[in-house]
Amino acid sequence: MRIELENVRHVYASGTPFEVEALRGVSLPVEPEEVLGIVGGTGSGKSTLVQHLNLLLVPTSGRVLVDGADARTIRGGELRGRVGLVFQFPEAALFAPTVEEDVAFAPRRLGLSEGEVHRRVGETLGLLGASHLAGRSPFALSGGEKRRVAIAGVLAMAPEVLVLDEPTAGLDPATREDLLGVVRALREEGTSVVMVSHDLDEVAEVADRVCVLENGEVRAVGAPEEVFYSHPTTAPSTVRVVRPLRGPHPEVGRPVRFEETLAALKGLLEGRV
Amino acid sequence: MNNRNHEGARHGGPPVVSCENVSFSYLDSGRPALAEISLEVRAGEYVGVVGPNGGGKSTLLRLMNGLLRADSGDVRVAGFDPAAEPFEVRKRVGMLFQNPENGLVAPFVEDDIAFGLENVGVSREEMRERVRKAVRAVGLDGYEQREPHTLSGGEKQRVALAGLLALDPEVLLLDEPTSMLDAAGRRGVLERLEALRGARTVVHVTHDLDERLDADRVLVLGAGRLVADVSPERLVSDPDLLRDNRLVLPTALRLAAELGLGPAQLRTPEDLAEAIVEKSGARAR
Repeated sequence: MRIELENVRHVYASGTPFEVEALRGVSLPVEPEEVLGIVGGTGSGKSTLVQHLNLLLVPTSGRVLVDGADARTIRGGELRGRVGLVFQFPEAALFAPTVEEDVAFAPRRLGLSEGEVHRRVGETLGLLGASHLAGRSPFALSGGEKRRVAIAGVLAMAPEVLVLDEPTAGLDPATREDLLGVVRALREEGTSVVMVSHDLDEVAEVADRVCVLENGEVRAVGAPEEVFYSHPTTAPSTVRVVRPLRGPHPEVGRPVRFEETLAALKGLLEGRV
Repeated sequence: MNNRNHEGARHGGPPVVSCENVSFSYLDSGRPALAEISLEVRAGEYVGVVGPNGGGKSTLLRLMNGLLRADSGDVRVAGFDPAAEPFEVRKRVGMLFQNPENGLVAPFVEDDIAFGLENVGVSREEMRERVRKAVRAVGLDGYEQREPHTLSGGEKQRVALAGLLALDPEVLLLDEPTSMLDAAGRRGVLERLEALRGARTVVHVTHDLDERLDADRVLVLGAGRLVADVSPERLVSDPDLLRDNRLVLPTALRLAAELGLGPAQLRTPEDLAEAIVEKSGARAR
């Protein structure tokens, strides 16, 4: 599944004194089987952008295309099953008496058989390392556990594109890394993931492409090393360490991920490069 | 328990927050959220609280401002028992919640920031002045007339923090106050908090160890127990303590540790770059 935003503008509270133009003509494809990281400062339009991917927000002007066809021609329910959106702090929407029932809610509404719903719930909780929580009340879980359950609720619909808006905010670093592992696993299985994050370090670890938003416009989009090494204000910690070394030691290259950065720096210190 | 990991308060002041043998369990949970916690925070201290999700950090803050009542043990804040006299405590203690959505109440940003002040009886002029200062402190100039629901997550978080700064309580209880902010936004907020050092008492729950490198000390909560009470330098240079509590160093410090470049002396990625330049230069000579 390929989604394309075509010159999308979005204006909140249009025609009132509180009018805010959140997106100012954004064109951006989400390719099949990629992890697309969307970064940008507070209020740059990241959340507004991703809510257009399943037409939860409708563009004020411009179009959203799904495999080349206007997304408005697809039934809303079908579109939202194929493009699963996980909001910021999704645990706020947990409601059922048990974790299992909460996760089963959305797939059940897709009209699947009880057997299939049960299978998906089990599989999804397993993927998120939350099987042991199935019988618990979602309200008695810790913040990290709730987050996993809320994400499982969307994943259980088996979307072709999973959109995560700040999925790791408030999670401890170890849980954060587990979740990034889930993102990688989904991509391996052919699901595209769009991940909004203010944390450049985690985007650096998983993204195949990075889009930088600024003030409602696409400031840069491309491979992580292209984007991060050419926009000084948008650089993860790894790039901030390496960039000043590139003058005296150009051979260090343009590593982005932690492991490749560590290898490059070791090489530099040991005089192997 | 290992005494090496319990250094305690390092400077003066009378205790403002204290817990003695405090335990608490949520109703349908099998294990206590907090078990036999004893700690003291002194006036003017800046204390970081770290630990894994589910470790008990947020529960501890909720006990301190009286949202929860301990099953056993004593909690004292500014001389009061928060569960028995929550209003006395909340006059002196301000709390910032993890999810900023939970705190916003008013139709416009500036009303929201003024909300706490309206309940403590300061004059109109003073209120306006304090709101203005708080707005500037968190970098929200121009947002005064915006409606909170049109703001992004990070902007809401700043509004909530501005409300707390305007109220200017003696004790600030902060639950992940920068979790939705980008690097620049975080720096701004941390500088503002740093300016309170010594004048106010701050208890700051965070997952980002780099944020709390400036704390006077760091409490580590794991599975409901106070596992350590140490200086930030100790914490970041103790791989066992970090690993046992699912704590992960920020990227630059992790690189520094892997390269054998003493993480305790470094703060930022730029510091590490400098250390590498020095070391590789020395090798060349």
